[in-house]
Amino acid sequence: MYSFIAKRLAIAVPTLLILIIFSFILMFAAPGGPFGGERPPPAAVLANIEARYGLDQPYIVQMFSYVKNVVFHFDFGPSFQYRDRTVNDVIAQGFPVTLTYGAWSALVAVVVGVSLGVAAAIRQNTWLDYLAVGITIGAQALPNFVMAPMLVLLFTLGLGWLPGGGWSGGLLIDACDAGDRLCFNNPFGGAVRFDYLILPVIALSTSYMASIARITRSSMLEVMNSNFIRTAMAKGLPMRRVIFRHALKPALLPVISYLGPAVVGMITGSVVVDVAFSTGGIGQFFVNSAFSRDYAVIMGITILVGALTILFNLLVDVLYAWIDPKIRY
Amino acid sequence: MITQTDVKMLEETAHLAQVRGRSLWEDARVRFFRNKAAVAGLFVLIAICAFALFGGLFAKFEPDYVDFSLMGANAYQGVPSLSSGHYFGTDIDGRDLFARTVQGTSISLLVGIVGSLVAVVVGTLYGATAGYVGGRTDGIMMRIVDILMSIPFMFVLILMLVIFGRSILMLFIGIGLISWLNMARIARGQTLTIKNKEFVEAAIATGVSPFTIILRHIIPNLLGIVIVYATLLVPEMIIFESFISYLGLGVQEPNTSLGALINAGASQMTNGTLWMLFYPLGFFLITLFAFFFVGDGLRDALDPKDR
Repeated sequence: MYSFIAKRLAIAVPTLLILIIFSFILMFAAPGGPFGGERPPPAAVLANIEARYGLDQPYIVQMFSYVKNVVFHFDFGPSFQYRDRTVNDVIAQGFPVTLTYGAWSALVAVVVGVSLGVAAAIRQNTWLDYLAVGITIGAQALPNFVMAPMLVLLFTLGLGWLPGGGWSGGLLIDACDAGDRLCFNNPFGGAVRFDYLILPVIALSTSYMASIARITRSSMLEVMNSNFIRTAMAKGLPMRRVIFRHALKPALLPVISYLGPAVVGMITGSVVVDVAFSTGGIGQFFVNSAFSRDYAVIMGITILVGALTILFNLLVDVLYAWIDPKIRY
Repeated sequence: MITQTDVKMLEETAHLAQVRGRSLWEDARVRFFRNKAAVAGLFVLIAICAFALFGGLFAKFEPDYVDFSLMGANAYQGVPSLSSGHYFGTDIDGRDLFARTVQGTSISLLVGIVGSLVAVVVGTLYGATAGYVGGRTDGIMMRIVDILMSIPFMFVLILMLVIFGRSILMLFIGIGLISWLNMARIARGQTLTIKNKEFVEAAIATGVSPFTIILRHIIPNLLGIVIVYATLLVPEMIIFESFISYLGLGVQEPNTSLGALINAGASQMTNGTLWMLFYPLGFFLITLFAFFFVGDGLRDALDPKDR
C-alpha cells in the first residue's frame, strides 16, 4: 500500500513540475511583455518596472526563482493587471467561492446520481428505470455552458424564483434580509442563504450526476445478479438490508474511480459557471486575465488547478486501492 | 461413373459456392442498419453536414455583413421571418443569424472532425507501437500519456491561446494535442490482445519488419474499435471547442462557432431576442445527439465486447 502511494507520488510530483516549467516556457514564448501594450512607457521607466518584477534577469534564473517560490513558499508572485495585488490575493478571493459551489455540486452529483442509479437498477424495466435512463441520456448532451443559459431563462426570466447571477456574500452571511428567499437564520448567529447557490450547482452538477447515475445503474444491475446477493435473498433478509449492506458497497466501486475525472471536470466547469453567473470565483479571474493578458494570474491559476487535479486523481486511486483489496499494484 | 444425381448435386454445390460469404464488416453493417436510433442519427448527421456545406447558398446575406439599420434594433426589426430573408433573425449587430449559424455549424463540425482525425492517426499509431513493442518502450510511452492526461488541458490550452493569439489554427493544435491520448490507450490495450495471435506470429516467422507488421496486420484489426471511439470523440471535441468559444477565447470574429453563438444568445436573453439563443443551441444539441446515437450504434455493431 505504502509502496503504491510512493509510486503514484513519484509520477505526480514530476508531472506538476513539468506543468510549471511548461507554462513558464510558454509565457516567455509570448510576443511582447506585460508592460508593452499600445503606449509603452519610456525606456527608463520600463527598465525600472521590469527590475521590480525581476524580468531583467536571465530566463533560467527567473524560472528557478519562480519554481522555488511556488513550490516552497506557495507564492505565485505579483499580478501584472492588478498592480497592487499578488496572484495569491486573487486566488484567496476567488477560491473560496469556487470551493463552495464546487463542493455542493460534487455532493449533489454523487447523492442524486447514486440514488437515481440504484433506484433504476432495483426497479429495472419500470417507468422509474426508463425515466432515469432518459434523464441520463438527455443530461449527457447538456454541457454546463448549455445548462447555464437555459436555467437562467427558466428560473430567473421565466419563473422569477432565483437570482440569475451574482454571489452577494455567498452561502454564509451575517443575517437574512426581509425579502430573501431560501435564507435561514441560524440560532447561534449568522445565516445560511441558498438562493445564489442553486443555479450554479445545478448547472455544474447535472452532466456528472447523469454519468454517475448511469455507472451506478449498470454496476448495480451486475451486482444484483451475482451469487452472494442471491444467497442474501435466500436467507430471507429484507430487501432494504440486502441493498444497503450487501449490494451497495461493491456497486459503488466504479463510481469511485469516476470521481477523479468528475471532480476535475467540475473544476474546469467552474470557469463557465463564473462567466455565466458572475459568481466571482477563480474562473472569472482566469478569463478576465486571459483577456487582459495577465500571464502571472493565468499561470498561477493553471498551476493551482493542475495541483488540485493531480491531488484528486491520487486520492481517488489510493481510496480505490484501499477499498478494493482485489486491486494489487 | 458419374450418375445423374451426382451431376445435380455437383451443380448445386457449385451454386452454393457462389453464395457470398458474409465478412465481419458486412455483419457489422447489417447490425448497424437494424438499429433504428443509429440510422436516424446518421440521417440527421447527413442533413446537418449538408446544412453546413450548402446552407450558405440559401443565405441572403454574408455572415459578416452588418445591416446598420438593424443594429441594436434586432429585437423588433430583426425577427426571424421568411420575407425579410433573415430566416433565423439577426443578432445584436444586425448580422444575419442564418448565415452565421451555417458558419458556426461548419466550424464546429470541422473542429470535431480534425480532432478526431488526429486521434485516429496519432493515437492509433502511438498505441499500436507501444503495445506491439512492449517492455520498457511501452512503459515509457504510456507513462508519457499518463502524465499528459493528468494535466488540466482546458487551462493550458487557454494559456496557449492567450500567448500565441487566438486563431482557429491554434485551436486545432491544442485539440490535436489532447484528443489522441485516450485513443492511444485504447489502441494499446487492443494491440496487446492481438499481437500474440497466430497471424502475427506467421508474419514474424516470414521475416516481416515490425513496422510493416504494425501497419499491415495490427492496425487493420484495430479499425473497428478505432472507428467507434473516433465517432464518439467528435461530439466531445465539439463540446470542448464550444466551451472555449463560449468563454470568448476560441474562434475570433468575424468567424464564429456554435459555442460563440450560444454565448452571444445567452448574453442577450433579457433583450427579448431568444432566437439568438435557440437556433444555435438547437443545432448544437441536435448535432451532439446525432453523433452519440451513431457512435452507440457503431459500438453495438463493431465492438464485440458489449455484444
